[in-house]
Amino acid sequence: MQQKNEIKLERQNDTILLHIHGDITAHSEPFINEAYKELNDQGTVQKILIQFEEEAYINSGGIAVLIQIIAQTHKNNQQIGITGLSDHFKKIFRMVGTTKFTNTYNRLEDALESMSQDK
Amino acid sequence: MPLSSSFLFKGLSESQLQRITAVAKEIRIQKGQWLFQEGNAADRVYVLKDGAVELLTRVNGEYELPIKIIRSKGGCFGISALVPPYQYSLTSKCAEDSTLLEIQRRDLQKLTQEDSALGCAIMTSIAQHLLGRLKETRQELKIHFKTLFRSMDT
Repeated sequence: MQQKNEIKLERQNDTILLHIHGDITAHSEPFINEAYKELNDQGTVQKILIQFEEEAYINSGGIAVLIQIIAQTHKNNQQIGITGLSDHFKKIFRMVGTTKFTNTYNRLEDALESMSQDK
Repeated sequence: MPLSSSFLFKGLSESQLQRITAVAKEIRIQKGQWLFQEGNAADRVYVLKDGAVELLTRVNGEYELPIKIIRSKGGCFGISALVPPYQYSLTSKCAEDSTLLEIQRRDLQKLTQEDSALGCAIMTSIAQHLLGRLKETRQELKIHFKTLFRSMDT
């Protein structure tokens, strides 16, 4: 049985954080899309940081969902970053090419600091 | 760990499960160890007792795309060993030190030849499992199409 992803939104200055719990698969699409819609309903958002909790497992379907979100942020001129990935998934993201369109960070603090400096 | 917790052996009688348990061999594998490679001849099916095993597919010979991680006790993989052409469709890598039950195809085939109801039940479980995988793959394909069509809108 597929588990629902619990996603919490949090504002940190000009960045909206998406805390995502659970493994990311094709079944995660409605939950992540809903969170992205909710985030945009809060007004103009320029910076989005996705934080994966508990070193989530992300399969090929989950990568497809993330590519979909990255493409939408690109279209909406939003900056997007990712943190909370294990070394295994950082390597996969590099190989798949998603790191061309989004930065990945080792620590949440590093991500927030780096993104706050970008205008 | 009872084999009945595995999707492959769901609904089998106690005596059928006992016969399968008798041919299953417990093995231990270490984190990072490969169990089988995509395209290799498939002759054994595995059931996870503890630990975690990842299933991957190789893309253009460049990198491995993650398909699934099996963490639950009774998680079963390597079912290509039970369906012609008996070639593993994915690569399997141990994600944590793990204990597995290994069942040889020839042993399971012998049991199903002696008990056709057992063979029918196992094949039904395989069909259900593969239909689920097909549904998930279709869902993944839809996501890719949506991304592609949205990008063409701009």
